[in-house]
Amino acid sequence: MNIFEHLKQVKIIGLEISGFDISITNGVLIGFLAAVLVILFFLAAANQAKLKPTFIQTIAEYLIQFVKDEMLSPLGEEAYAWLPFIVSIFCFILFCNLLGLIPGVVPPTSNINFTAMLAVIVFFTVQITGVVRQGPVGYVKSLIPQGVPSLLIPFLLPIEIIGQFARPFSLAVRLFANMFAGHAIILTLIGLIFVFQSYLIVPFPVLGNVAIMAFEVFVSFIQAFIFAFLASSYIIGAVRTEH
Amino acid sequence: MEKVAAFLGAGLSIGLAAIGASIAIGMLSAKAMEGIARQPEATNNIRTSMIIAIAFVEAIALYALVISLILVTK
Repeated sequence: MNIFEHLKQVKIIGLEISGFDISITNGVLIGFLAAVLVILFFLAAANQAKLKPTFIQTIAEYLIQFVKDEMLSPLGEEAYAWLPFIVSIFCFILFCNLLGLIPGVVPPTSNINFTAMLAVIVFFTVQITGVVRQGPVGYVKSLIPQGVPSLLIPFLLPIEIIGQFARPFSLAVRLFANMFAGHAIILTLIGLIFVFQSYLIVPFPVLGNVAIMAFEVFVSFIQAFIFAFLASSYIIGAVRTEH
Repeated sequence: MEKVAAFLGAGLSIGLAAIGASIAIGMLSAKAMEGIARQPEATNNIRTSMIIAIAFVEAIALYALVISLILVTK
């Protein structure tokens, strides 16, 4: 049995443009579904916004307030400009992760291509914001920590630039590995039944899986939070000129 | 022979990463509990930052897991 078996991408509609395979797979479909669900969720929350909020409106308001207070508070008033970006990233990843917990559904976030796409979006947002806000020269200057002796700068600057490029990599691999590992553990526990070939062993992997599943719900929230948290902290670093 | 080396490397990589990550998580939660015991009113703040830090540590262990999965399926 292959450990990648249940996370395999199955082509539903084959598409290829100039050598790039952009087929619609089952994971892509779940990604679309998650996007639609996020849109519907916020439409339902904003549709009849009242002073006495409905249930969905309460959740959405709490979520937005949470993102603003926990992640974007150093930006002050400008936080409102970045809220839509961070909240959509958070909700999209969260919905993808949670949809993946339904048995038989491949979570899009367990595919490195998907998480890499999200990380690259964050990377370009941060770099372009930094260059626009601080100017090309000021941006390169802001990469160097303050109070460093000028002799050290030729050594520090390449390290800092590599650090900038390592960010999307670590963002992508962190999310991918967490979702992938959770599903691999679930399969491995169930696989124990087939390894031991005995009915007596069945309750233990199944009960263990219940615990792992509960933990996976927690991990889904934490990973969506971490991704949004890191994205917003990178954006704060690029926006703020004074260090 | 190559297969054997790949399996050995896979096991070693995830095992060593688990050692490092578990030491880190142990230290983190011990310090967090100490902080909570000293200042029970800061419990919520300490808990959130502890969970964030633990998620970072966990991610490093999972990098090793990815490497070992690549080695196993090689």
